[in-house]
Amino acid sequence: MTTDPSTTTTADDAAVQCPYCGSTDTKREHPKGPSLCRSMHFCTDCQQPFERFH
Amino acid sequence: MTTNAPLDGGKACGYTNYEEGTVPDEYPKTGVDATGTEAEVWEALREVQDPEMPVSIVDLGLIYDVSVDDDHCTVEMTLTYTGCPARDMILNDVKCAAETAHAVQEADVRLQFSPKWTVDMVTEAGRDDLREFGLSV
Repeated sequence: MTTDPSTTTTADDAAVQCPYCGSTDTKREHPKGPSLCRSMHFCTDCQQPFERFH
Repeated sequence: MTTNAPLDGGKACGYTNYEEGTVPDEYPKTGVDATGTEAEVWEALREVQDPEMPVSIVDLGLIYDVSVDDDHCTVEMTLTYTGCPARDMILNDVKCAAETAHAVQEADVRLQFSPKWTVDMVTEAGRDDLREFGLSV
């Protein structure tokens, strides 16, 4: 099983602040989102997926 | 900002690279010092939202200049990226908004891509709106 190689891009994947609860206990799940300027993240604290606007 | 660079050898799909941008001193422009008809145009432009998210295009920092000469208005603006598919729609929204100002008969909207737009041009109010919408900025 090989994963999409783009998930291992070296682009900035630092933990960002969750827009819902403000926690920084988050991880980037994928560098690509629904539009060119967004990436997919998940908040471990409030268990919500969210996006980051670049 | 995004660029699509091929992966090593180009044998897999390209990936998205986000680059840091720089913001010249006078940006973002929000029309705070505008008076008269120009202020009225800025006010109308505030009502125009990005088609993807409920944020004013003024707060996104897309408007670079508003000038009114007699009954003619010129709006200089940019887009978040050159290939923006909503281009025509946004330009038309901006034109119609500018023409709602009482003294404006006709408005021209000019696109420019210099300086290059970056996320850093989003105002504090815009950031709040983006967070409200569920986006981390």
